[in-house]
Amino acid sequence: MGRIKKKGESGNAKNYITRTQAVKKLQISLPDFRKLCIWKGIFPREPRNRKKASKSASASTTFYYAKDIQFLLHEPLLQKFREQKALEKKISRALGRGDVGDASRLEKNAARPEKTGKPRYTLDHVIRDRYPTFVDALRDLDDCLSMLFLFANLPSTSTVPAKMIARCERLCLEFQHYLITSQSLRKSFLSIKGIYYQASIQGEDILWLVPYKFNQRVVGDVDFRIMGTFVEFYMTLLGFVNFRLYTSVGLKYPPKFDQAKDDEAGELGAFKLEGNLLNGSAEEAPAQLTNTETEAGPDPKTQAEVNKLIRQMRETDVDGDRVETEADKDESIDAIDKFEPAAPGGDVLPQPSHSGSDPESLFANCTFYLSRETPRQPLEFILRAFGCKRIGWDATLGEGAYTTDERDPSITHQIVDRPVIQAAMQEGGDGEDNQTSQKLAANQRMPGRTYVQPQWVWDSINDGEMKRPDLYAPGAQLPPHLSPFVQNTQGAYDPTMPLEDQQTKGEALGDSEEELDEDEADEDDADDSLAVKKIETGADSMDIAQSDDEEDEDGDNDSFGGFSDGEKAADESEDDEQAAELQYQRELEAELTGKPVKQAPSNPQSKAKVEAKKRLAKQAKEEAEEIERAKGMLSKKKRKLFEQMQYTNSKKSAEDLKLREKRRKLEKQKARAKA
Amino acid sequence: MASTKSNLKRKASLAEVYAAYEAQSDDEFGDGLLEGVLEDESEDEESEVGDDDDDDDDVDRDGFGAEDDELASDDIPTDDETPDKRLANGIGSDQEDIGPHYRIETDANGGTRYVYDDIDPVYDSDDTDAQGPTNTIGDIPLSFYDSYPHIGYDINGKRIMRPATGEALDALLDSIEVPKGWTGLTDPATGKPLNLSQDELELLRRVQMNEVPEEGYDPYPDTVEWFTTFEETMPLSAAPEPKRRFLPSKHEAKRIMKLVKAIREGRILPYKPPEEREREEEEEEEVHYDLWADETPRPPNVMHIPAPKLAPPGYDLSYNPPPEYLPTEDEKKSWEEMEPEEREKEYLPQKYDSLRRTPAYDEFVKERFERCLDLYLAPRIRKNRLNIDPTSLLPKLPRPEELRPFPTIASIEFAGHEGRVRSVAIDPSGQWLASGGDDGTVRVWGLADGKQQWRVKLSSEDPVDAVRWRPGQESSILSAAVGEDIFLMIPSYGNPELEQASRDILDAGFGYATNGKQLTTANGAARKDPPAKWSRPGTRLEDEGVLLKITVRSPVKTISWHRRGDFFCTVSPTGQRSSVAIHTLSKHLTQIPFRKLPGLAQTASFHPTRPLFFVATQRSIRCYDLQKQELVKSIQPGARWISSFDVHPGGDNLVVGSYDRRLLWHDLEMSSRPYKTMRFHPQAIRAVKFHRSYPLFADCSDDGTLQIFHSKVVSDLMEGPTIVPVKMLKGHKVVNRLGVTDIDWHPQHPWCVSAGADGTCRLWT
Repeated sequence: MGRIKKKGESGNAKNYITRTQAVKKLQISLPDFRKLCIWKGIFPREPRNRKKASKSASASTTFYYAKDIQFLLHEPLLQKFREQKALEKKISRALGRGDVGDASRLEKNAARPEKTGKPRYTLDHVIRDRYPTFVDALRDLDDCLSMLFLFANLPSTSTVPAKMIARCERLCLEFQHYLITSQSLRKSFLSIKGIYYQASIQGEDILWLVPYKFNQRVVGDVDFRIMGTFVEFYMTLLGFVNFRLYTSVGLKYPPKFDQAKDDEAGELGAFKLEGNLLNGSAEEAPAQLTNTETEAGPDPKTQAEVNKLIRQMRETDVDGDRVETEADKDESIDAIDKFEPAAPGGDVLPQPSHSGSDPESLFANCTFYLSRETPRQPLEFILRAFGCKRIGWDATLGEGAYTTDERDPSITHQIVDRPVIQAAMQEGGDGEDNQTSQKLAANQRMPGRTYVQPQWVWDSINDGEMKRPDLYAPGAQLPPHLSPFVQNTQGAYDPTMPLEDQQTKGEALGDSEEELDEDEADEDDADDSLAVKKIETGADSMDIAQSDDEEDEDGDNDSFGGFSDGEKAADESEDDEQAAELQYQRELEAELTGKPVKQAPSNPQSKAKVEAKKRLAKQAKEEAEEIERAKGMLSKKKRKLFEQMQYTNSKKSAEDLKLREKRRKLEKQKARAKA
Repeated sequence: MASTKSNLKRKASLAEVYAAYEAQSDDEFGDGLLEGVLEDESEDEESEVGDDDDDDDDVDRDGFGAEDDELASDDIPTDDETPDKRLANGIGSDQEDIGPHYRIETDANGGTRYVYDDIDPVYDSDDTDAQGPTNTIGDIPLSFYDSYPHIGYDINGKRIMRPATGEALDALLDSIEVPKGWTGLTDPATGKPLNLSQDELELLRRVQMNEVPEEGYDPYPDTVEWFTTFEETMPLSAAPEPKRRFLPSKHEAKRIMKLVKAIREGRILPYKPPEEREREEEEEEEVHYDLWADETPRPPNVMHIPAPKLAPPGYDLSYNPPPEYLPTEDEKKSWEEMEPEEREKEYLPQKYDSLRRTPAYDEFVKERFERCLDLYLAPRIRKNRLNIDPTSLLPKLPRPEELRPFPTIASIEFAGHEGRVRSVAIDPSGQWLASGGDDGTVRVWGLADGKQQWRVKLSSEDPVDAVRWRPGQESSILSAAVGEDIFLMIPSYGNPELEQASRDILDAGFGYATNGKQLTTANGAARKDPPAKWSRPGTRLEDEGVLLKITVRSPVKTISWHRRGDFFCTVSPTGQRSSVAIHTLSKHLTQIPFRKLPGLAQTASFHPTRPLFFVATQRSIRCYDLQKQELVKSIQPGARWISSFDVHPGGDNLVVGSYDRRLLWHDLEMSSRPYKTMRFHPQAIRAVKFHRSYPLFADCSDDGTLQIFHSKVVSDLMEGPTIVPVKMLKGHKVVNRLGVTDIDWHPQHPWCVSAGADGTCRLWT
């Protein structure tokens, strides 16, 4: 028999200590403890048995793992904190004596990171300690990047020193430069909160959020000291991560920073990357950023002449030219040919979706021009990250454009985000006058150039292919912008799929019934001949409305074309058979009675519907019974679990149901509007 | 010019001087003169002037009387006259006024000597306090006296006469020649023109200029160094110079070496002005190096829980989401009305038709801050979330169609009993059904046609508690328990061979009966009466086919036969010591195996294949080995009051029904706790029974229903038995809160028979 165990000497009682105890043990102030916890990644725990951990004290407290605190005891930063504390004491004592000179001398020794943005200590060892491998650091980069990008966009205040902001901005731009060079940006998403980016570095997916370039409003009580502590750590982390990333692609870190360019809002262009060992292609990108002067060089008059000539030439064979270039492109790309089954019955083999060209060099052959009203920073970053080398923008957007001349003939795509002004629609003879100025009139278009809205860029990179530009033309109603991060699970609502694929049978029935009602209502108004026609089309008159719908959609956008035929056929086949039977029977009856067939055109349909509905209800009831029977065999614990899971699932499916309902309503409205 | 002015003035003033004050002014003058003489030796002119000023002040205080004196002193600073001249002047004036006060004599040396009169020091002689003729009218306007020749009264009540206003010529003169110090003001107290002297003007100027009012006052005089100006010739101490004055200090050397060392080591840096230092610090870049140059992966700590990542944005967060994600008006309203903490999502989906219209997100900083708080403040727990389809939790139940056959409907109703039917049994051949009830009769029915074939009334007062057939096809013996008696009978339904065989079996034991009795008496001398009495029931009953009667000590409730048909056991719960009895038919012998049981015995049964014997008490079931005569196993179903149990034909499983509405399946190989607990009945369970060949069992309950279960027992040890509820048979009526009292299965077919409290038996097929 072992020794009798005493209460409170092992287990939960020993493993957890309260925050007050921890602070006392470390002999530091609470703010210092907070700092230490943030940097070292120490977090409170929930003891398995709270009562035992708190030794039956009823006050609610936070608990820390005792070994975590023990680990903090050996932290070199503790010494720094204590030194700082001693210094503060000395300063306050000098001030109390009235010895201002002494106080100011001591003050010079004190580190005031909250003011200067520069602490006296380094956090290198903390980072090494928290992230033993580089991949570990990458894994934790989400919050780091979101935080630093936010701080890079904050106004400087007393709590957020300007230097800290500048450093954040620099680190972020350096990181972006790496992403551009290594082409590791994968996806991006325009949300109401800001712009989400996803990059894949060494197999780790990193997702971060960048706010839109507006002045950030600070609502509620936000403690910038806490945020500052985080940012201090994140700045060091991103510095080292950047170093490692730069060296991994053979670049020198830190890159050369041109203060003058940065002052003129050069942003990405203010950096000059230098090869570390081999002068690779990395140097080309920044070199091209400085093209502005040479482009702007030629005399405007001659430029205008040239432009005019070019334009005349273009106008003669706009269409032909385009076709030719496209044809050239097709030939030049050694794409994988698309195999489509010629005859039904064969197996379909999966093919890579991107035909030959990397998604990373999606925009490699394009020259972009950003209009004045577009957000330059995200667009520049994304376009560069996806291979675009030549990006020009309006001079008001800042330094570093490939060209600020909107009439540059090499521009292939122009990104505009302004409404079409009706008054300026007619382009008369005033084109001549405009040629002298660099800017074009409000609605004037350069021929041979694609005009798109900014969303086109995002949708293109997310889908890995250039989207059809006509959907994104200026002033057009944009297609919905969908999040590329959603993993579609089986059964969940997916807005990209047609509604008919997703709805349950019951919903479909309800839907068609409604439609039927509407049809009937319509029929009253319509001519008899129309009604007759409907009957002649066959038994499935109830599907007419649907098919109309789809035709309309096809007219709208071709990308949605042709998906629904197969499934619709499958869907219909059952109903068809039934309906056909019914119809046949009715015809027989009609023959017997000698009445015309068209007496009850909608009746059989609705009857079939009702029957189908009944069948569905019965089936559902049977299934519910079955489940109830099986549930009886479960133990109490498992039954609870099962019910809980069912609750969450039903909640989810209820949400989906709501979405589907909304969509159905919207589609119907649309169809009605079309009709 | 000044002098002429003063003369003029003097003229004017002289007229006004009162004679009474002449002597006083004299004295004053004399004083001043003496002073002047004294000071002439040591001090310069300025100091003298200062002194004079002092005098002036005094005179002013004196009032009118000092006029001439004032004039005299006035002259000194302005004209830089020597004291002698002044002296002369003064003398002149004196002489003019009153004549000399002194005599001039010759002294011993032959010089002139002034001999002054002795001053008579009477009370009034030097009254500096005495004021001039002050006006005593008080603080009333002087205009009151405009019509009088006087302007008030002096201290003695005498009128102060209005001074004569100058003649027109005088006034004219006055207007032409502005007297020195003329202010144009009239002293209200005296009614005379108020004049200010040069000194007074100077004084005013100084006061105005914030200077020291006194002229010539040096606020910062040179210090006079009294002691250090003179070099002492003699030393204060005669001690010799100490040695340390000539030797270098070791302590200092030590400190210097310390500093030198620090400088060499770079701990002390040369001084730099703070601005330069700051600039340098700024320029100093943060040093970056490959922090992970020698990275070694560390296995993650078990206790470390990494912070969960934020969920990626969904469709509804898009700036241009699909329209179905936009909230309706109602949803928007309810969202806004909700408390911010209660909201499921902290944002409302919004749609902006172009990117340029998208505004900044208000809560951005706050959300980031909250994330920060979560990262360092939120306790982390590792929670295992089951990401499985909930239907996978459900056991794979075979479909009811696959479980067929099982009884589904009541095909035949056997009605005839008056009162409750307490027990039913189907005979081993499967043709006959025996039933016993409250009316004390035992009836045998044809199972196929539902007709009553045979009937015997065993008792008029006691009900028939149990009816059981003897196993085995070679005979047809029915046992029934009525009160303390157990009757063995042979129903007659037209098969004499079988009847004869049965009769032989029953009669075979009569030879042994006495033997058995002797044996027991020989063994236990103390026991007087035998545990049971085997006898003929009497001729009436014998004629009807009841051939044997066994009487035990207490009412018997259940009968259970051994599979071979030679033994059967009875249980009488009220019988204290002899509650369980095992009867041997071939020897007409009754044994009481248990002297003591933990609780009241409820029912007992033989194991279907092995020599084991089960006895159920209220709470537990015990399994005894009959050969070794020892307890093999004790089963704790956990029920409060066991009503019945049945052993699976395979022998390894047991199903237990209890009055507390539970049906419990026990696996004898596994544990003493139930393998499955089923609670499908709202009322007490009366009986449970396994089918002998089909994988079925059934229970019956006071709620008037039977429940049929499918139970598949596989020989594989890894797999537990599957129990599937298949059917709930309703039909019996509930009478006096009693429903179905007993059930039995058909030996070959999946049919079962139930006995109800409503006086009927039913066959379910």
